[in-house]
Amino acid sequence: MGSELVEPAPQLSYTEQFYNCFPFYLSIGMTYDQYWNGDCLLVKYYREAFDIRKKRENESLWLQGAYIYDALCAVSPVLHAFAKTGTKPLPYLDKPYPLTKKESEDIEAAKRKADRQRARAMFEAWANSLNLPKKDGER
Amino acid sequence: MAKQITFEFEGKNYTLEFTRKSIETMERQGFVIGDIVDKPMLTLPALFAGAFLAHHRFMKRKEIDAIYEKMTNKEELLQKLAEMYNEPLEALMEEPEEDEGNVEWGASW
Repeated sequence: MGSELVEPAPQLSYTEQFYNCFPFYLSIGMTYDQYWNGDCLLVKYYREAFDIRKKRENESLWLQGAYIYDALCAVSPVLHAFAKTGTKPLPYLDKPYPLTKKESEDIEAAKRKADRQRARAMFEAWANSLNLPKKDGER
Repeated sequence: MAKQITFEFEGKNYTLEFTRKSIETMERQGFVIGDIVDKPMLTLPALFAGAFLAHHRFMKRKEIDAIYEKMTNKEELLQKLAEMYNEPLEALMEEPEEDEGNVEWGASW
């Protein structure tokens, strides 16, 4: 018992270990020269970059899923087996999701501006319909 | 930036560093880092010579040995060389992700 602590494990030479890891680093974009002759710490940064890329791809796939979900929700009224005749699908999103805070704020500001303009147009239409006596100087 | 040793000898600047290729070359020529304990007198000059491969590939062994003879504070030099030698392999090893199960350890020196 405990012999596994006494028997030496087969040792890989440094070279063998370098060759074992080499395909992985090639697959994430390192060149032969960078791996073998370049700064030996470069591999760490390639690994970090690889993690960032994986995260970005994951977010991108998640976003795609969210768009597909929205699209399905939009068409769901017509997919209903007992939908009334004449049922139309809801409109799909008119703009992509905002990805930054600024983009989100811009969209909110544009929405507020459009609301104000619509309210003003409605108020003007209502005022005109009243046929109020016009003040001097107004046509 | 990888660990390097720099010095000037007879008006010329030298940079010692290990790349994976230089370690591969050394091992192909029979260098075994494990021999550093059993055969230090053979291994240490070879380790020093190997550190020239990255930036001074075409230097003759005789010239390198002459520089080695003149190097001061050899004990610390060799400790640094050993650290440098391990760096290309250590860089390939990933730290485990932060987890409650990770083992914290300390040394007494």
